[in-house]
Amino acid sequence: MISLITNTVHQITPEGIIDRYPNSYNHFVLPFVIGMTFILVYLLIGLIRILYHLSGEDRLKLLKSLINPKTAWKNIKDIFCDCLLHTKIWKRKPLLGYMHSAIAFGWFLLIIVGHIEVGLFAPRHLSGLTEGSLYYPIFYRFFIWMNPAHETLRGSVFFFLMDLILLYILSGIGLAMFKRVRSIALGMRHTTKPSLADRVALYCLWLIFPLRLLAEGFTADLSGGGFLTRPLNWVFRAFFGNELNFLPTWWAYSICLGLFFLAMPFSRYMHILTEPLLILFRNAGLKVRKPRKGFAEAEIYACSSCGLCLDACPMNTQKKNLKYSSVYFIRFLRRRNKKKVNEIADKCLMCGKCYALCPVGVNSPAIRRAIRETHNNSIKSDYSFMDTYAGSAENSDKKNKILYFAGCMSHLTPVIIKSVETLLKASGEDYEFMDRDKGICCGRPLMLAGRTDAARQTIQANTKIINDSGCSILLVSCPICLKIFKEEYSLKGIEVLHYTQLADRLIKDGKLKVSKSSSAIVYHDPCELGRGCGIYEEPRNVLKAVAELKKASKEKDESICCGYSLGTITLDEKDKAKIAESSVSSLMAENPDEIVTSCPLCYRAIRSKAEVPVKDFAEIICENIEKQ
Amino acid sequence: MIDFGFSVNPSSRINLDAADGEKFHRLAALEPDALKCMACGSCSASCSAAAFEDTSLRRALLSLQNGLSDDAAKLLSHCMLCGKCTMVCPRGINTRHLILSILKIYSL
Amino acid sequence: MKNNILVIGGGPAGMEASAALSRMGYNVILAEKEKSLGGHLAKWDRLFPDQIPAKQVLDSLLEGIKDVKCFTETDVNSINLLDRSYNAMLSNGITILADAVLLASGFDLFKAEKKEEYGYGIYEGVLTNADLEKAFKEGKTFSPAPMAIGFVHCVGSRDEKAGNPACSKVCCATAVKQAIETKELYPDANVYCFYMDLRMFGRHYEDLYLRAQKSGIRFIRGRVSEVSETADGRLLVKAEDTLSSKPLKVSLDRLVLMAGMRPSKAGRAVGHQLNLTTEEDGFFSSADNLLSIQRSKLPGFFYAGACTGPKTLPDTLHEARSAAMEIDRYIKENFRK
Repeated sequence: MISLITNTVHQITPEGIIDRYPNSYNHFVLPFVIGMTFILVYLLIGLIRILYHLSGEDRLKLLKSLINPKTAWKNIKDIFCDCLLHTKIWKRKPLLGYMHSAIAFGWFLLIIVGHIEVGLFAPRHLSGLTEGSLYYPIFYRFFIWMNPAHETLRGSVFFFLMDLILLYILSGIGLAMFKRVRSIALGMRHTTKPSLADRVALYCLWLIFPLRLLAEGFTADLSGGGFLTRPLNWVFRAFFGNELNFLPTWWAYSICLGLFFLAMPFSRYMHILTEPLLILFRNAGLKVRKPRKGFAEAEIYACSSCGLCLDACPMNTQKKNLKYSSVYFIRFLRRRNKKKVNEIADKCLMCGKCYALCPVGVNSPAIRRAIRETHNNSIKSDYSFMDTYAGSAENSDKKNKILYFAGCMSHLTPVIIKSVETLLKASGEDYEFMDRDKGICCGRPLMLAGRTDAARQTIQANTKIINDSGCSILLVSCPICLKIFKEEYSLKGIEVLHYTQLADRLIKDGKLKVSKSSSAIVYHDPCELGRGCGIYEEPRNVLKAVAELKKASKEKDESICCGYSLGTITLDEKDKAKIAESSVSSLMAENPDEIVTSCPLCYRAIRSKAEVPVKDFAEIICENIEKQ
Repeated sequence: MIDFGFSVNPSSRINLDAADGEKFHRLAALEPDALKCMACGSCSASCSAAAFEDTSLRRALLSLQNGLSDDAAKLLSHCMLCGKCTMVCPRGINTRHLILSILKIYSL
Repeated sequence: MKNNILVIGGGPAGMEASAALSRMGYNVILAEKEKSLGGHLAKWDRLFPDQIPAKQVLDSLLEGIKDVKCFTETDVNSINLLDRSYNAMLSNGITILADAVLLASGFDLFKAEKKEEYGYGIYEGVLTNADLEKAFKEGKTFSPAPMAIGFVHCVGSRDEKAGNPACSKVCCATAVKQAIETKELYPDANVYCFYMDLRMFGRHYEDLYLRAQKSGIRFIRGRVSEVSETADGRLLVKAEDTLSSKPLKVSLDRLVLMAGMRPSKAGRAVGHQLNLTTEEDGFFSSADNLLSIQRSKLPGFFYAGACTGPKTLPDTLHEARSAAMEIDRYIKENFRK
């Protein structure tokens, strides 16, 4: 592209702009060109690899989603909001959001506006066939000379714009440097330890924009400049005289850019280029199938290593467990460190908070499950007993409206079962108990452990029992069951409800009348119910009707796991207890009289650590049912 | 082999000399909780699978220590990993990891 | 001049130690947070192994402290170590300067509702050892007469989940004693004891066990794992009969939970003010666990009874007397030279 150097005639545009270098080339562009070429080739190969590892079905899905105008619009919107503006970070930590958007959106603007400027004033340099189209817009200010006498309003607007954008980026870079020193000021307690490539890319990134400012400052007397570069040029001339040796800064600027692009694939900054791909995949409805290839690979490279998941992870109560956070998990996965990857995958509670808070939306719990699948799915089970078991429904001839599945865990908390039954009786609802004496597990624990095939067998057995029962509502009191019933079961015409949802509905329909007590309570969001199924409001609606509802320091999608999640495989009892303590201390933020939760596991975990009474959701409603 | 017209019945007595200690050590290294069981029976009593088929982590551990690894694998083959045993174990044994580890090391 | 000795806790340990110290000629001040003296002993009906009435023991303990200044319904609001004496402010407004302090804060019963799966506080038929003893003491009987009653050993003992990995020492013997008494009250009822290990270590305890067996009480080696309700409102109890290696279920009318011993909350509050260390089980740590169980790490501060771990009543009384001797030695060595 840079080889077509012929005797080009100096063109003077109406703006009074001419090419200072007839061949539009100088050696200093080489580092940038090398880096840029490398990254483009790397990206192309990576993209082909990822697409190759997608299943045929997934590729078709992706293609369809790209054509579909609705998803296409969503793609554009998501890429703009997530990759450039970083709205997700803005919402939680405004200063951190500003920093990210300043660098990302600013850089984006710089490139776009820069190209428009070249397009307007030296359009032939944008054509792929002419010299310098790869680098010319980047180093535009180096290659042109502007006749100050002919400066137009249009030109000045661009000078001003480009300097404004540069200032915008520099403010972001300044915050980023400050964050390295004092992360807590930007709302982060923990930050990641950068790897070598991260450091190289990071320092280059820090230097790129200040160097651009310097370089453009040095040439501003020739190329023209805005409110930043012009004054800078005066200063330089005051110090170094009128004959400025500007080439070193342009070299430095180009080297930094080149180095940044060379280090990029091996550093966290690969997320800048991978995130749009991840958005396309996600909006196409693809799921993680293999732990390291295809979709997962896009997820892995989309991780920005920002470390927001370090603060999110419930295991961070103990410093020794910080190493199990998603950011390190992804890093080891990227480096193909199998031992570490397996260790971290098995430790995780699968509470989903890192996924919920991840600005990029890397679904690391799904990748962890895929890892577990690789070493647990081959375990053989003997589930032949399920073939003959037809359920223990108590009055099978009657077609009941509600089928209540307490699940394994609710049987360890008799208060939940008793209260749910009381609640159903008080509202005059017809119900049948699916597993009073015994029952088949819902399959979610097997699924979480990566034993997908075994889970399918329990799903199949339960599906048959439920479909045969003739019920219209399947009621569950365990959020773990709820999640899998909703996601993996095909129950025809049967609505799956958690008891918090049913209670909300019964009260709204006037079937259940409750009165308000003077007690001040706080509600703990179970992971599988909240982040898992998105149920935050129904329990709160009901609880507001029976008591004064206080807030926890972290709640809804930021709620801290109770520690006793079935998601973990190797976390030991002592570590679980520590997590339970931190969950309780978050709940006690406003000194409530009682803690309420709606999951048998959370109920047990929180009770073991709380100083105040802990009640089940159904229990507290039963206490406040209006006597007729 | 010469047919003597009779065969020796396998002894029903546990022979600790014949127990494979090496595998159990491997198990204990993978999940140290393998050594913590005090045989209270809570796991078997609460077990969801035990309501249908003979399933018991307590006995599986005992079988392993007695060198009867096939019995152990059978006793855990119906496990659905529901986690009730983890919740009720008074020694705080990480039963789910223990079961997965046994099934991997001593697979039938 | 008589040296002041402050005894904190008016249970058997505090009373017996006070009696001994007062006999030695010290000026003993006894502070008890409850309305009356006697601690858990005052709430019990009969005592193992001989089933002698608890009241008889309590009366003779009270006899011994006639000359002791007792403040009931009194908490220790603050306590601190001055040069070599302790300055204690009691909730009744009295300030005491004591040359030695004996902590006899004993234990609290484990809160049985913390074992959710047993349904204490949820099912009417589930009660604790203390509830049953209270019923015995008040002469109350269950009506209709229960057909089947179970006793669960180790509730909140030997249980890491309940935060207490240790054995509470007295529950086995208590369960067997209560089972015998229950069987005597309801001869037609089936009585079951669910145990993990039967720890009948003391003199005559084994006799008690044999008596229970002879009276037809069934001993099942297995820990109860869950309790649910049957359709007719009885309790359905699940355990493993580990001796026959089979899961077991049985319908009961009453289930008695043998709640174990936890460090007393009031005692820990005192310990907190003086920065006294506790061991992992929450009970106070002695200077050493063999030669100086009665001594703490602080000079002039002593322990007696269950504040340093679960004890039987005879153990507690022995410790009280030996604590009195330790205090006497300490005073003589430090204050009368």
